Amino acid sequence: MALELTLHTQPEVPLEAECITPQRVAGLAAPEVERLDAMHGNRRVKLGDFFSAAGKGANDIVLNGDLSLVKLIGAQMAQGSIVIEGAVGMHVGWGMSGGQITVRGDAHDWVGPEMSGGRIVVHGDAGHLVGSAYRGQASGICGGEILVHGSVRNETGGAMRRGLIAVGGDAGDFTGVNMIAGTIVVLGNLGIRSGAGMKRGSIVSMNPAPLLPTYQYACSYRPLFLKLCLQHLRGLGFAVEERHINGRWRRWSGDSLELNKGEILLFQR
Amino acid sequence: MSDKDNMTDNGTNTETSAAAKADAKAAPGAASGAAPGAAPKNGGDHIKIVKNATCTFCGCVCDDMDLTVDLKEKRITKAKNACVLGRAWFAEHTIEDRPAALIDGREASVEEAVEEAARILLEARYPITYGLSDSTCEAQRVAVAISDIVKGSVDTTTSVCHGPSGIAFQGVGETTSTLGEVKNRADLVIYWGGNPAESHPRHFTRYAVTPKGMHIPNGKKDRTVVLVDVRKTPSAPVSDIFIQVKPGRDFELLWTLRALVNGKKITADVEELTGVARETLDDLVARMKSCSYGVLFFGMGLTMTRGRHFNSGAVLALAADLNQYAPFVAKPVRGHGNVTGADNVVSWQTGYPFGVNFNRGFPRFNPGEFTTVDVLARGEADAALVIATDPASNFPKKAIETLRRIPVISLDTKPTETSRLARVAFSVATYGINTGGTVYRMDDVPITLRPAFESPYPGDEEILTAIRDKILALRPPRQDAAADRAAP
Repeated sequence: MALELTLHTQPEVPLEAECITPQRVAGLAAPEVERLDAMHGNRRVKLGDFFSAAGKGANDIVLNGDLSLVKLIGAQMAQGSIVIEGAVGMHVGWGMSGGQITVRGDAHDWVGPEMSGGRIVVHGDAGHLVGSAYRGQASGICGGEILVHGSVRNETGGAMRRGLIAVGGDAGDFTGVNMIAGTIVVLGNLGIRSGAGMKRGSIVSMNPAPLLPTYQYACSYRPLFLKLCLQHLRGLGFAVEERHINGRWRRWSGDSLELNKGEILLFQR
Repeated sequence: MSDKDNMTDNGTNTETSAAAKADAKAAPGAASGAAPGAAPKNGGDHIKIVKNATCTFCGCVCDDMDLTVDLKEKRITKAKNACVLGRAWFAEHTIEDRPAALIDGREASVEEAVEEAARILLEARYPITYGLSDSTCEAQRVAVAISDIVKGSVDTTTSVCHGPSGIAFQGVGETTSTLGEVKNRADLVIYWGGNPAESHPRHFTRYAVTPKGMHIPNGKKDRTVVLVDVRKTPSAPVSDIFIQVKPGRDFELLWTLRALVNGKKITADVEELTGVARETLDDLVARMKSCSYGVLFFGMGLTMTRGRHFNSGAVLALAADLNQYAPFVAKPVRGHGNVTGADNVVSWQTGYPFGVNFNRGFPRFNPGEFTTVDVLARGEADAALVIATDPASNFPKKAIETLRRIPVISLDTKPTETSRLARVAFSVATYGINTGGTVYRMDDVPITLRPAFESPYPGDEEILTAIRDKILALRPPRQDAAADRAAP
C-alpha cells in the first residue's frame, strides 16, 4: 500500500522537503510521516504543516497538489517509486541512485542533479539544467535516465558523465554543454550551441540543428546503438517513428576544442 | 582646467574656481583647507580642497580627483580630473532636505525605522538582501552579517551585470592582472562587448590605451586597440581595428578564435555565421599570438546577451589558450563603483561571490535559484533589504510586483522607485563624498575613500550596524541549528 501525501496548505516561500523519499518514510505510520522535518524558508517545520498523510510509509509514495514551490522531493532516493500528480519544484530527485520518480505535470529547474541511477519521468515540460552539474562541480549526472515528454530549456545534460536524457519536445541552448559522456536524445529541435565544449558522448536529434564551427562532418551511417536506444525510448512511450529506427544519421564530431570524441547525430532520412 | 570643467551653473563658480586655483598654488599638496590670503569676497574659509579624492561612480574608481568643496553650501563645486560622468556624480550629490527615515511614507526617527526594519527581517521566512554595489566594503560586510543572522539570501547587483562572469570564473578560471600591469605592459588591448568611451570614459586615458607605461614608452602608438561589438559605438574611433559581430553571435566568434588559436580546422562558413571575414580573424589571431602582452576587456555585451556565462567563459578560455604564445589576461569591465568590492566581500564572508542563501544556516550558492531577480520574479521572497540600488525601476514586471507586495527596507542617497514603495526608507550619506571606507577597483585593487564633506544623514554602514544590533537584541533564543543543517 502506498503512502499518499496531499498538500493542504500552499507554502508561501519555498519548502525544502528532502524527507519525502521512500527510505525516510519506510515503516512510518501516517502521523509519524507528518512529524518529519522540512524547511519552510528559514524555519524548521513539520511535514504535516503542509501535507496530510494517508496510508502507511512504504516504498511507494503518491503526492497530490501543486508542488511547484516544494524542492528536493525524492532526494537521495535509492529504491521504490514516487508519483507526483501535479507540478514539482526544483531539484527533484537530487542525488538519486535508484527507483522511479514520475511527475505528471511540469518540473522546475535542476531535474535529477547529481543523479547516479534510477529513472525520472516528467510528462510535462522541465526547466533549465536537466541532469546538469551544479555550478562549480565537475560533472552532471553519472547514471540513470531522465525522460521528459515535454520540452526542456537551456543546459540540458551539462557536463553529464553517463546516463540517458530523452526529450520529447524541443531543447533550449547549450544542450550537452561540456558533456563528458552519456546520451541525450531530443525528438524535437535543438537550440543553438549544442555540445559546446563536449568531450565524449552522443547528442541525437530528429531535426536539423545549427552547429558550432568546431564540429566537423564525419559520415552518414546507421548506428546500431541508436537503433536499440530509440526502440527502448519507443517502449517508454516516446513518439519514435520506424523511419528513425531504421534511418541514416549524419554524424558530426566535436568539440574539436576538447577531445573531439563527442558526436552530434542528426537524422538524415 | 577650462570653464566647462566647472560644474555649478550659478554666477559664483568662476570666483570659486579661481579661489581653488589660488589655494592649490598657495598650499601645494595640502590635503584640505584654504589659504586665508586667497579667500574670495564671499569668504574662503568654507572652501576646502580635497586632494587625491576617489570617484566612486564607475568601476574605474579613479583616485586622482582634486575636489573643490563649498562647505557652506555643502556641495562639490569642481572636480578636477573627473570625466563627464564623474563630474555629474560629484555635482549631483548635494544635501537634499528630506527626512532621514520614513515608515510607510511617514516621517520617523532613525531609531524607530531601525527597529521596524529589524522586526521585518526577523519575522520573514525568506528575507533577501540586494544591492550593495554602491556602498563601502565596510557596509557590505554588515549586510552579509545581517543575511547570515536572519537566515536570508544575500545578492548583489553583480547578478544582473557580471554575475555570469562570476559563474565562468568558477567553471573556467581566470587569467588576471591589475590595471597597472595593463598600463605598463599591454601592447594589444581588445575590448569586447563594451563601450568604455561612454560608460568608463577614463578607462582609455588612465589605464589601457593612451597612458605611457614601463614597456609602452609611447602610449597609444605602441599599442594596438581592437574593439569587437555589434555596432559602431563612440568607442570605435579609439580603436585601430573595429570588428562588427552579428548580434548574438559572440560565442560563435569566440569559439572560432579559440579553434584558430589552437590550430583546429574550421570548415564552416565563419563569415556567414558571425558576420566577420575569415581574413580579419586570421589577422587578429596572428596579432594575439605575436603580441608581447595582451588583454581582453569584456563588458555586458557578452555577459547579458544570449549565452551569458558561456560567453564570459569563452573569453576566459581564449585568454588561457593564448598563454601558450604570450602573456594574456582577461578582465571584466565592471560598472558600479564598488561592485567589485561586493564580490570580494561576499566571497570572503561566504565563499561565493553573489546569489548566496543562508536559509539553512550555512551558505549555499546557486545562481538562478538564489539570485534576486529570479527569487522576486517567482514571488518567493517575503521581505527585502535593498541597499543603494533601485530594482523597482529596472527589474522585470513580475519581480516589481513582488516588491510591491512584500515589506521592503531601502537605503539610498536619493528618493527612488524602490524607496517610494518601501515600508521603511532610510536617507543615507553618499559613499566617497560623505563617508569614508574602502572600495575595490574593477581589477580587485582596494582603494581608500577621502570624503569631501559631512552629510546630516548617517552612512550605510551606520544604519546597517544599527539594524544588525537591533536584530541581535530582538532575536529569540537560538533554535536547534544543527537540525536545520542536516540535509543539503
